[in-house]
Amino acid sequence: MKHVLARIGQAAVVLFVAFAATFVLLQALPGDALMIKFENPELGLSAEQIAALRESYGVDVPLPQQFWHTLSGFLAGDFGYSIQNGTPVTQMLAEAAPQTITLALSAFLLAVLIAVSLAFLSSLTRFAWLRGFLRSLPGLFVSVPVFWLGIVLIQVFSFQLKLVPVIGADPVQGLILPVLTLAVPISAPLAQILVRSIDEVELAPFVSVVRAKGASRRRVLWNNVAKNAILPTVTIAGVLLGELIGGAVVTETVFGRTGIGRLTEQAVSAQDTPVLQAIVVLSALAFVLTNLAVDLLYPVLDPRLRRLSRGTARTAPAATPVLEGAAA
Amino acid sequence: MSRITRTLAAATAALATAALLAACAGTAAPEAGGNADPAAPVTGGTLTYLEHQAFTNLYPPQAGFYPNGGVVNNIAARLTYQNPETLEIEPWIADSWEVNADATEYTFTLRDGVTFSDGTPVDAAAVAKNFDVYGLGNKELALTISEAINNYASSEVVDAATVKFHFSAPAPGFLQATSTINSGLLSPATLDLPLEKFGAGNAAAIIGAGPFVVSEEKLGTELTFTAREDYDWAPPSLKHQGRAYLDAIHLIVTPEDSVRIGGLTSGQADYIRYVQAFDEAAVESAGFELYAPQTRGVNNSLSLRFTNPLLSDLRVRQALVAGVNAQEVVDTLFTANYPVATSSLSSTALGYKDESEHLTFDPKKAAKLLDEAGWTVGADGIREKDGTRLSLDVYEAKPQPLSKQTLELVSQQLKAIGVELNVKAADAGSYAEDIKDPLKTPLYHSMVGRADLDVIKSQFHTKNRNVLLSNDTTLDALLEAVASEPDPAKRLEADAAVQDYLAEQAYVIPLFEEPQVYGAADYVEGVEFESVGRPIFYDVWLNK
Repeated sequence: MKHVLARIGQAAVVLFVAFAATFVLLQALPGDALMIKFENPELGLSAEQIAALRESYGVDVPLPQQFWHTLSGFLAGDFGYSIQNGTPVTQMLAEAAPQTITLALSAFLLAVLIAVSLAFLSSLTRFAWLRGFLRSLPGLFVSVPVFWLGIVLIQVFSFQLKLVPVIGADPVQGLILPVLTLAVPISAPLAQILVRSIDEVELAPFVSVVRAKGASRRRVLWNNVAKNAILPTVTIAGVLLGELIGGAVVTETVFGRTGIGRLTEQAVSAQDTPVLQAIVVLSALAFVLTNLAVDLLYPVLDPRLRRLSRGTARTAPAATPVLEGAAA
Repeated sequence: MSRITRTLAAATAALATAALLAACAGTAAPEAGGNADPAAPVTGGTLTYLEHQAFTNLYPPQAGFYPNGGVVNNIAARLTYQNPETLEIEPWIADSWEVNADATEYTFTLRDGVTFSDGTPVDAAAVAKNFDVYGLGNKELALTISEAINNYASSEVVDAATVKFHFSAPAPGFLQATSTINSGLLSPATLDLPLEKFGAGNAAAIIGAGPFVVSEEKLGTELTFTAREDYDWAPPSLKHQGRAYLDAIHLIVTPEDSVRIGGLTSGQADYIRYVQAFDEAAVESAGFELYAPQTRGVNNSLSLRFTNPLLSDLRVRQALVAGVNAQEVVDTLFTANYPVATSSLSSTALGYKDESEHLTFDPKKAAKLLDEAGWTVGADGIREKDGTRLSLDVYEAKPQPLSKQTLELVSQQLKAIGVELNVKAADAGSYAEDIKDPLKTPLYHSMVGRADLDVIKSQFHTKNRNVLLSNDTTLDALLEAVASEPDPAKRLEADAAVQDYLAEQAYVIPLFEEPQVYGAADYVEGVEFESVGRPIFYDVWLNK
């Protein structure tokens, strides 16, 4: 319990640091959103008009005061207004977040499915060529640029074969190609880690013992090896959240979907500070929660860690090489 | 992002084009039959329209941004209608008007029975309120002054159907200004909203008197326009009266070029905006229509900021003008829809004067001028004078089509006469800051579209866009004459004088006359554009 509380405290500190760092960095950037918006030559505003507008937006307010104002707003759940559009940031996030969460979760599940299938098939197969082929796939997947994959999938499956529409698609149809686009690069590191830990665990002495007792290859893989190989994979899964967010930027733009990624792309190009601030804090929150969940999941997955987390040296076993790998 | 994907699109072009051609050959053929029959327009149907970027704000004076203008143009009626072919000003919400001799008083008589889509009448009080906001701004609500309106003083409601506007100085451009989307009439209640409320996410609350209303918005990705059944006040000069033919328009924001093109050619969309020059062939060869209305304003050009010491010498500027081969830029990067510029103004602009004698490509003359100015070729091929290299910077301008490629080609051309042009790219913030400094941005890539003589003042006057970052009072005086000369003939002369001056002083390198390029399926009939190339959906109907 104490452990959990400490982790939550840590998470709060991480969030605050993310907030403060974003605030400072966004202020330090050359130019600002107001400048980008109102000095857009398509508006044709004069220098005096722009100066008056800047004043009405409160650019003269001292930074510490702005910081406090923004922070108290965030704590109260008010993220302010987008400077570029004037839309409340909460409204933008409320429309975008569910879309991105659906996309990211579906892509993640598909990625896990692809990774597990690749790892298991390559470990079970008796044909060396098939094993070699399957094991080289993640290397290929990880090097395919997401935007290229997206465009190719659209051209082939939507425009040529006309299997799924991209424009005016219903929500389910509209998910198929983006999910595929996002899942492929995510599945690659998962598969690579899983394959490696399966290989490592298979060399462990206990596997030889089980095999010597007559267990089949498949049985050993499912019951003994997989259980031990899963930990490093769970760790990497937590880290992959960043990849998912990055991938969403590209996927959502290529497919013209609403979402946090698309919002990020637009906010970055307009230097829309309130939107960026909210997205960074939200992403940090997602990171913190995922890693918290991963941490809390360890003891569930591995009984040895359960005893370890109680923190008494008396019961702590000597860590196996596999566990060291997981902690790294 | 868009640059990456654009490069990408180019990279996959071979594959994509082949695929598209194969896919589309089949779909285009059967529809050709329907097109041959010049049938009467059909009412009904929904148009799927793909837009390149999401709109940002629907406050009419900010509608210069094409995605904003495309929406405002279809939901807001205006006092007058500028015939896109003749550029004449014709009645719309105003039945008739009178202008006093020195263009300081405009009196409009309004048409009867016009209503905003919230039911309030478009009467003199409403119109007066519109122009008070657009002419004077509203600081409290952060509503800005419209760039199209000069010297506005006040409004006067004479009676319910008559409204009068007073100006502090002659405002000959005002009549045309009442026809532009920047003067789109909005319901008085809408004009009480602060600027934020005109932003994305609130489109359905922007109430105009146009043929369509925004009935649904998916933030940043989709807009649905619905036809107003009771719309019965189209400009009288149009053949089509009454409600719009289409029931609805489904506007989908599709930023990726290849997806917009593929969406059109695969039949998933009917009509798209922003066909890049390199995609035009793919659209046409697949049997689809290209539309390239001109923007009729200041040409796509490079402004030479003469307050930068390197460009203060007229001979250096003349050399740069003579060293740039605009024809090669168009031939290499663009298509026949982008005519080579022959003045600072487009040849389709009002008041255009041919200045091509000042704009001929002549590298020998350029070299001679630079020699005379004392710039000698250094060891690296770039000219030098007193230890200073003739090295200039220009920023890629994201709103201009193929800006980077254009500038890189110009840079190659200038290298041949010993001038270094560094093409720089920057994030929006640094860009907005640096383009205001003639030392950091001696050359500036821009254009502006508006079908009135005032457009040239908008671009070059020190109190407007000031693209030259000028301190030239002669130029300002010439520009003010254009904006305040009440006599139409003298106004045209004033406009020609500005073009002469810009060409003689070699202040700009005009490149090409910029169009807006759209693609549509052949069953999309009645495709029309207002005078600056924004789509009018009122006459569009589906012949299928």
